[in-house]
Amino acid sequence: MQQRLDRLVELASRGLARRTSRRGLLGAFGMVLTGTALLPLLPVSRGARAEAAEPATAGATPKAPSKAASDPNACEYWKYCAIDGFLCSCCGGTSSTCPPGTQPSPITWIGTCHNPVDGRDYIVSYNDCCGKTSCGSCMCNRNEGEKPMYRLSLNNDVNWCMANDNPNYHCSVSVILGVANK
Amino acid sequence: MRLTWPGACAALLMAVTGTAPADATPPLAAEHLSVEQLPARSPHWAYLFDFSFNNETDGRVYLYDGDKHRMLGQFEVGYYPNLAISPDHQTTAIATTYWSRGGHGTRTDVLEFEDNTSLTLRGEMLLSAKKAQSGAVSNFNVSYSADGRFLYVTNLTPAASFSIIDVAKNAVLSEVDTDACVLVVPSAQRRVSSLCENGRLLTVTHDDNGKETARSVSKPFFNVDKDPIFVQSVGTPTGVIHVSFLGDIYEIDLSGTEPRFVEPWAMTGPKERGQWRPGGQQVVAYQPHSGRLYVPMHHGGEGTHKVGGSQIWVFDAKTHRRIARWPVDAAKYGGVFSVLATQDDHPLLFAATENSALLVMDAMTGKLLHVEAKLGQTLWSMMNP
Repeated sequence: MQQRLDRLVELASRGLARRTSRRGLLGAFGMVLTGTALLPLLPVSRGARAEAAEPATAGATPKAPSKAASDPNACEYWKYCAIDGFLCSCCGGTSSTCPPGTQPSPITWIGTCHNPVDGRDYIVSYNDCCGKTSCGSCMCNRNEGEKPMYRLSLNNDVNWCMANDNPNYHCSVSVILGVANK
Repeated sequence: MRLTWPGACAALLMAVTGTAPADATPPLAAEHLSVEQLPARSPHWAYLFDFSFNNETDGRVYLYDGDKHRMLGQFEVGYYPNLAISPDHQTTAIATTYWSRGGHGTRTDVLEFEDNTSLTLRGEMLLSAKKAQSGAVSNFNVSYSADGRFLYVTNLTPAASFSIIDVAKNAVLSEVDTDACVLVVPSAQRRVSSLCENGRLLTVTHDDNGKETARSVSKPFFNVDKDPIFVQSVGTPTGVIHVSFLGDIYEIDLSGTEPRFVEPWAMTGPKERGQWRPGGQQVVAYQPHSGRLYVPMHHGGEGTHKVGGSQIWVFDAKTHRRIARWPVDAAKYGGVFSVLATQDDHPLLFAATENSALLVMDAMTGKLLHVEAKLGQTLWSMMNP
């Protein structure tokens, strides 16, 4: 189910990217944003897995997590399985909120990270927080499942603040969207 | 420093009279403040791009002399810049972004032309706010046509396109929709090739007015899901060479009427595959006189494609023979993030590390000639004039 859903949304987002090329992409974002608050819009993907070599099963017996895997200020935190940037939790925000005075990026990419505490896989949205220059603290570079820029839906190198009024990149968050049911 | 009254009086007296206490040694000659002029270009110069990741609005390029082991000068390149040196070496084109008040205020996207002979701005033209902003610094986010007449600028909003610029007219001629493909790899006959999300190569042909006259899309030539290729490729006399995450070499010959995809070959042996991988930023260098390839390699698994190398592997690009594995003291300097070979017949190899150290090596023997322990903040890519 999850694969089908991801595939559907991925196709839709790619189609949107093509159809709206040079024809008011930001206008499209604005219209959709009106009704969806901060749900990420583009692109969406099957995503990165934190422990790709050891696929997790929802509800499987959890492993004892390391201390760092439970610390939102640590790069090893389970939700950060493919973040490349400064952790907002060190910059005045949290793992899922932007620091005061910044603006969340409306576009982003989505991955799947494994939570060792409950043994579940979660769909997470990697958003950037924008409008101020780099936070410069807690640099975190994890790239499980990350792909180069031509596969934009799985890329963490691009500046996801690119479509903001002020595209200045400040820091990155990882927001739980739901359990990745199989 | 705390100055006592007697000391202050003595200093004042010296300043007024210009006299110093009696001494056997003659005084130093008076100095005249002036500005250094750059000497004639050397093939052993390198342009070192510091992304300034901790304060990204302040990107800069250092011009470094690989023989004299010293910085020759600097120019600023702004926020998420994309850079290209002109075929005649005289100019660096910089597609970048500035704000009127530091990190906020009015945004200006601009194409600036830095005079490489004086390190001063020679001109600029305004761009629409579309240029690609990526921390993966490819040699082909911006590029010149071989004759230097046109510049190509990759756009990503995230809709993908590229702009064609007439350098002499200082004008944007057109914007070409690339259907989600990125990069601008130039080749003869006014062609530009881009990498696509399904592993294909898009090639667009344009006329002298920047109008698209033809386009073609190749069959998939690599597997994006199983073994993607880095966007940080290197140009060769006939085209371009990419490295894949698992360490395969993909060479594309762009000298003919259609792109020709050379059969890929592996840098790793069966026991090394998946264990030793390329990683970092500028992950491949090519030296035309020797025909050598240089790739930073590390021991690691999936997801380590941005980890710097503990070794530099050296290959003959024609025979695919591995010539050497040069170890680097990664614990001391940081893993090798980027490599650049000079283009002359006594070449140097520059290696920038994760700690922003710069290693200067003999590109033929691997001998470490010099180390800059810390040069700038985040040296992510290098260019050779």
